[in-house]
Amino acid sequence: MWQQVKQALSDSTAHFVTRFAGLLPGLAALILALLVSFIFAWILATVVRRLLTSLHFDERLGRWGLASLAEWSPLNSPTLLVARSIAALVIVSGFLIGIAAFDFAWTYLFVQSIFAYIPNVIAAFLVLLVGNVIARFLARSVLIGAVNLNLQYARFLSIGVKWLVIVFSFAMALEHLRIAPGVVQLAFGILFGGIVFSMALAVGLGSKEFVSKSLEPDAKKVSGDPRVAEPVAEDPLRHL
Amino acid sequence: METDPVPQQVQDPIDSADLVVSILADFDADLLAKTYGALRDLPGPLRIAVVDNDQRLSPASFNLESTNKSALAEDAQKTAAVFHVSSPLTRAEDNATRAVRLSEACQSVFALAEKLNARGCCVIASKLESVTPGSVWQLAQPLFDGEADLVLPHYARRKFDGLLNNSIIAPLMRALYGKRVNNPMGPDFAASQRLIQTMLVMKAGANAAVGRRHPLAALTPTALCENLRIKEVHCGARTYPPIDWTSMSSLLVDVLSPVFLDMERNAPCWQRSRISSAVPAIGEPRVAGADPAIVDTDRMVESFQLGNRELQEIWGLVLPPSILFELRKLARLPVEQFRIPDDLWVKIVYDFALAHRLRTISRDHLLKSMTPLYLGWVASYAQDLKASGAATPNGRLERLSLAYEVGKSYLVSRWRWPDRFNP
Repeated sequence: MWQQVKQALSDSTAHFVTRFAGLLPGLAALILALLVSFIFAWILATVVRRLLTSLHFDERLGRWGLASLAEWSPLNSPTLLVARSIAALVIVSGFLIGIAAFDFAWTYLFVQSIFAYIPNVIAAFLVLLVGNVIARFLARSVLIGAVNLNLQYARFLSIGVKWLVIVFSFAMALEHLRIAPGVVQLAFGILFGGIVFSMALAVGLGSKEFVSKSLEPDAKKVSGDPRVAEPVAEDPLRHL
Repeated sequence: METDPVPQQVQDPIDSADLVVSILADFDADLLAKTYGALRDLPGPLRIAVVDNDQRLSPASFNLESTNKSALAEDAQKTAAVFHVSSPLTRAEDNATRAVRLSEACQSVFALAEKLNARGCCVIASKLESVTPGSVWQLAQPLFDGEADLVLPHYARRKFDGLLNNSIIAPLMRALYGKRVNNPMGPDFAASQRLIQTMLVMKAGANAAVGRRHPLAALTPTALCENLRIKEVHCGARTYPPIDWTSMSSLLVDVLSPVFLDMERNAPCWQRSRISSAVPAIGEPRVAGADPAIVDTDRMVESFQLGNRELQEIWGLVLPPSILFELRKLARLPVEQFRIPDDLWVKIVYDFALAHRLRTISRDHLLKSMTPLYLGWVASYAQDLKASGAATPNGRLERLSLAYEVGKSYLVSRWRWPDRFNP
């Protein structure tokens, strides 16, 4: 009996040591991969930071209407944000390579699923980026157009349009990431509808007098600008 | 033999002409016929090709079929021969703005003049209040007398006519190129063969990245940079199309964008010139009719105030802090005290031209965001004239032009060192 217990213990110990010894190369590979990725990430981040600084990336982003990116960035510098993101990407890649070195089925599947998910992350990031650019462009167009039409609620319209596009792109990005798609759809519908409804209410209440005037039978021609309803022939100004 | 006052419809294709004429203005059929008649009465031999894509004078309506061709050929030695021709280029789309239509029409006339090896071309795009049939030849004659390569009109000025030209285009070109041209963008003009060829060569070599050239905006700068001779002809007052307030910002984009683009192309040329000189003029200055008395400045000042409140983030990308501070101070003034000083306005225009060059923001957004500032200037100008009680705006506009000349050093500094020189 005792012999059997001893044998079982010995087998178990031998099995454990063997398995542990089997893990060691993988562990060493993981540490090495992490070490190399850290060094590589540091070099790459330094190169990218210097390159973007020489290209005046922060100033250019401001000109492209992405100045708010600075608010989310470390030390208010989008250059630093990009450099650190690239470094993080390299380190995560190194970690995944290290994990894959453990020659287990589950690590292989884990890494495979992570890599399969990367296109979704990239697509979601691109959707967010493009959505942000479009939102800012449209917001600026609406703001300038509304100011030139002398609309007092120009700023409100502009912000409304901006958030409509941002919410839309955010919902699309979450859809790509496959994060709670049902909830996202519902939340998007409520939020989008809410913004449109609140804008319609605000604009409608703000211009109710103008609308009621325009509905009168002898009303002058309806236009976005009350001043064009006046007879143009009386205006003495001639611009070109 | 009695000459027919309308152009002759020639069956054979025309291979040469001395002058190409295009009348784009809204002349009625009677005036058009008289104008062509006046051209035909010019001493020959002179071959004049008239561009008439719209067929406003159809042969049938003027009974041209009865014209005797042999008699015509004999007569052509004594008087000018006038021909109908169609433009070789495609027309601008119907929904194109007036500026685009004019641009296309001018390109078309240049191409035709080159094809027919003409000595010059003449475009009439506006209608004078006292238009005469001889107004085409009035513009074209200096070309044939060898006196000029570009003939531009000098319209009699009323206080509120041609405000965009008077506030930006004319004084800007005067300060840049050193010639006091009153209507650098016509729209009526006559150009010599040399200038036409230069324009066509420049159009062919235009860099797509820099943008398309607008012939009317490029005409005067090209002539000045190429050291061609410019003359002005004193005309009466122009009739202007009615104002459309809703498209004011589009007007600014259509007009200022090509002007600023040309400024960018000609930077090496205009940075050399220092002081301005007058351009020789033909004829006696004419007096314009009375101005309509009332201008409502309240709405324009309100536009300026709204722009100042809402467009700070955009203006902040274009204008230096000192100018933004001045604008904020102006926005707090009551309407009757509202004035934009000339030096401030000049710096604003120069800064927008620079931002256009640097593509600080979308060019369309940039120029549209200038609309409240422009309306502010118009209000300030109207109030200035009202306060001074001046009969003509000439003195006021001369002061503005001088301010542009004085401010040129500011432009040159900012143009050369946009990042370093930022007062």
